[in-house]
Amino acid sequence: MTTLTRQDLNFGQVVADILCEFLEVAIHLILYVREVYPSGIFQKRKKYNVPVQMSCHPELNQYIQDTLHCIKPLIEKNDAEKVVVVIMDKEHHPVERFVFEISQPPLLSISSDTLLSHVEQLLRAFILKISVCDAVLNSNPPGCSFTVLVHTRDAATRNMEKVQVIKDFPWIVADEQEVHMQEPRLIPLKTMTSDIVKMQLYVEERAQKT
Amino acid sequence: MLYHYLDHKRKESSAQLHATYLVSGKFVDNGQTSHKVSVVREDQLEDFKAKMSLVVSVHVYSVQRALLRDSGPLYAVDYDAVKDNLKNCSRYSAIHCASAVPMSSVELQQAREVQQAPTPEPENKKTGMNGDTSPVLKSSAKPPKGIMGMFANKSAPKSQDNTKEMKPEKKEDIDAPKSKPVAKANPVANFFGTQTSKKPEKPVKKEEAPQSSSRAAQQQHERSKPEEKQETVAPVEPQKDTKKDSRSKTKRLEDSDGEEEKMETKKRRRIKKPEPDSSDEDVIPDSPQPVVTREPSSPSPKKEVEPDRHSHPSSSEMKIRKRRRVMKSHTFVDGDGCMVTEKGYVSESYSESEDDFKPSKQASRDPIKAKPSSSKEDEKKTQKKASANSNKGAKQASIMGFFQKK
Repeated sequence: MTTLTRQDLNFGQVVADILCEFLEVAIHLILYVREVYPSGIFQKRKKYNVPVQMSCHPELNQYIQDTLHCIKPLIEKNDAEKVVVVIMDKEHHPVERFVFEISQPPLLSISSDTLLSHVEQLLRAFILKISVCDAVLNSNPPGCSFTVLVHTRDAATRNMEKVQVIKDFPWIVADEQEVHMQEPRLIPLKTMTSDIVKMQLYVEERAQKT
Repeated sequence: MLYHYLDHKRKESSAQLHATYLVSGKFVDNGQTSHKVSVVREDQLEDFKAKMSLVVSVHVYSVQRALLRDSGPLYAVDYDAVKDNLKNCSRYSAIHCASAVPMSSVELQQAREVQQAPTPEPENKKTGMNGDTSPVLKSSAKPPKGIMGMFANKSAPKSQDNTKEMKPEKKEDIDAPKSKPVAKANPVANFFGTQTSKKPEKPVKKEEAPQSSSRAAQQQHERSKPEEKQETVAPVEPQKDTKKDSRSKTKRLEDSDGEEEKMETKKRRRIKKPEPDSSDEDVIPDSPQPVVTREPSSPSPKKEVEPDRHSHPSSSEMKIRKRRRVMKSHTFVDGDGCMVTEKGYVSESYSESEDDFKPSKQASRDPIKAKPSSSKEDEKKTQKKASANSNKGAKQASIMGFFQKK
């Protein structure tokens, strides 16, 4: 049984890689399921041994990848508290927020050889839940767009503003109207607990969408 | 059981439920009868049943609260349950038979010998996809032994050189486990029985695929070749497609029909070659074809190919270089300001000892417009067929170069 501390950056990088890969798949799937973009741009791909829908539009893919590339250092240092995918209507008022709450234990203990396959199993359950989440959500109005917000601990964002991780891809402090939603309804979707990460996914939905 | 639940809930009209059905039966396609098993949505159910010549079974496969957009969740939902019960296939099945125990190796040997004698006769009479009568009989006679029957059948093709016989055998293998649970009325048991029996079938199918491609070079009949290639395409595809695709199996074959021409050129190529290619499905060797000048860019890629090939023999003297076709995607903005993504098969040469890629550009245009269009997918398919033609055209000049490498 190996016990590692947060200072063991290699392992932190591994966890960040796993989470960013998962978030990329989850964002694509959310865009597909909530019909933010037409289903024609999506194609079936395989992740965690199950079929998932990923977009083939290069600019959209690049945007998502750049976003997660910037989030990765925050996750490595355990500064990211929540990653939120906000779906907004034409007036840029949020109608739905998919909140991924992430926390990592300070002491990571690898207690079994099957840790990664266990994590894969849990992430697969998240993917499945996102695929069928429209059973519990109302449909969105047409012409929606999306954005990704990161809630960080302490003052991690100050570093982000100073250092541009990717050139010409700046992060700005979110507007109040993007962060807060009127009359939100909370719908929990999935929770996972493992040795390396704890994650919770819930959806905040506006009571009246149109 | 699911049917009663669905009925009950719909009568209560408490919440709107959507159902997915598993339909199996006989389907006649171009005069050939096949046993088709398919998962369809409720709204497509009646159309599908009308197309079948004989419907053997219809039962509720799954019930959801929300309309499923694609079949992905159907596979994902019980992935773990299937994996855990891989060796215990009948754990959730209501089909029980006390005398159904695995055969000992002696009994297995005897069963194989018995199978070998009657199988050459009936299969010589039939052509193509005909294996439906025997599995249906098998299913009604001994439902619990369907899996063992499948394993007994598997050994028969190993000893036979005729791939035509093997093809119907494979069809039997595919059909036998599926028709086994269908015979029973319990839908939930059928669901699990079908699921778990497909898993051992997968390694069997994959095993048979390399054998079939190794025998391909010995095949004298051209006609069964495209069908055989379609069969090898099926097991090598990702599991999700073969397991629970809401499209039917024959529809998948129709999709690959467009590539039949490619396959015909491939098999002509193979007959000339003394040795068969590797069993990798993506390895499609170049074949001589008249040049089809559909694309203006095809002459220039051809020129690029020739010097590329000439440089190969010097560097790959010690290595075996093969060419294979890989799907590549290339994006740019065209004159109209539309974003165009080219998706086409690019012929790449690679060495077996190293993964050293030297792509030669033979990609053809396959525009995907940024704005949504309903005929987008149709466009893609027709463009793929066009790309197949133009790829064949560009390869002709390099055939001798390919031989010289050897």
